[in-house]
Amino acid sequence: MVSWIISNPFIAAATACAAGSALLLLWYLLRRPALTHATKLVLLAAIGVLPLATATTGNVAGFEATKARRFCGSCHVMTPYRDDSQDPHSTALAARHARNALFGEDNCYACHADYGMFGTVATKLGGLRHIYEYVLHYRNMPLDEARRTIHIRRPFQNATCMHCHSTEGPSWNAIKEHASLLDRVRGGDVSCASAGCHGPAHPFSKPAPPPTQEQLP
Amino acid sequence: MTIWSRLSGLFTLRLSAVLTLLGLAFMVWSMLEPTPLPVMLAMTVGQGLGTLAFGIYVVIVVRELVRELRRARERDPS
Repeated sequence: MVSWIISNPFIAAATACAAGSALLLLWYLLRRPALTHATKLVLLAAIGVLPLATATTGNVAGFEATKARRFCGSCHVMTPYRDDSQDPHSTALAARHARNALFGEDNCYACHADYGMFGTVATKLGGLRHIYEYVLHYRNMPLDEARRTIHIRRPFQNATCMHCHSTEGPSWNAIKEHASLLDRVRGGDVSCASAGCHGPAHPFSKPAPPPTQEQLP
Repeated sequence: MTIWSRLSGLFTLRLSAVLTLLGLAFMVWSMLEPTPLPVMLAMTVGQGLGTLAFGIYVVIVVRELVRELRRARERDPS
């Protein structure tokens, strides 16, 4: 527990501020001092400054925590995906990327996040939708059923892969399948993560359902 | 009336301290157990309680200041 707190400076700062605030508040509640200027200043620190610092650093730590594989895998229906991607012997696309230090513990977020100016906001809104769906529909679903039925909501975007694999490099274009499908890969007509190319991303991935009328351009 | 207001102010300040402790508990829980429920509760309920508590503190302190100014004016009307 202590090593977990010390390992992240934001968690360490937030915990220290929360502890300081709690100590001052307990002193005030138990000793019940007169409301002098000094007491008011102590309370300003305990009710205002330190909790604000806790909330600010805690928010940063919280947003960072939402990127971690541990966070994504904490809903039971996601455990097969988490277990596969952290399996050092798995050859699935997600697991191979998770072994890359650039992805590491945040490999779910690195591939499933939206990019661009509002990418983070869009990803967080998507995360809220996940929680809504989980609480209302999937919370009591048996794991076997979840593995059979859960699927990605929209087709996986090649733009996510192209965030790192730009499709511009000579070594990428030296592969004849890449060169022949270049325009279709860039246009998203052929998915990088499809079976026959580099997919599926997870051993039990299922394709997204066909788009509804509302989703069509 | 003054005694009642004074007692009420102290009670509200203690309530504010308790609310702050509750809000901090939610925030610390989310850091020790970073899963969806604690993180969401910290960012909504925890921070809401903290903001409410600080608002109460500001109201009490401002009310005290206004009261002191009024007393000072009554003592020295010029």
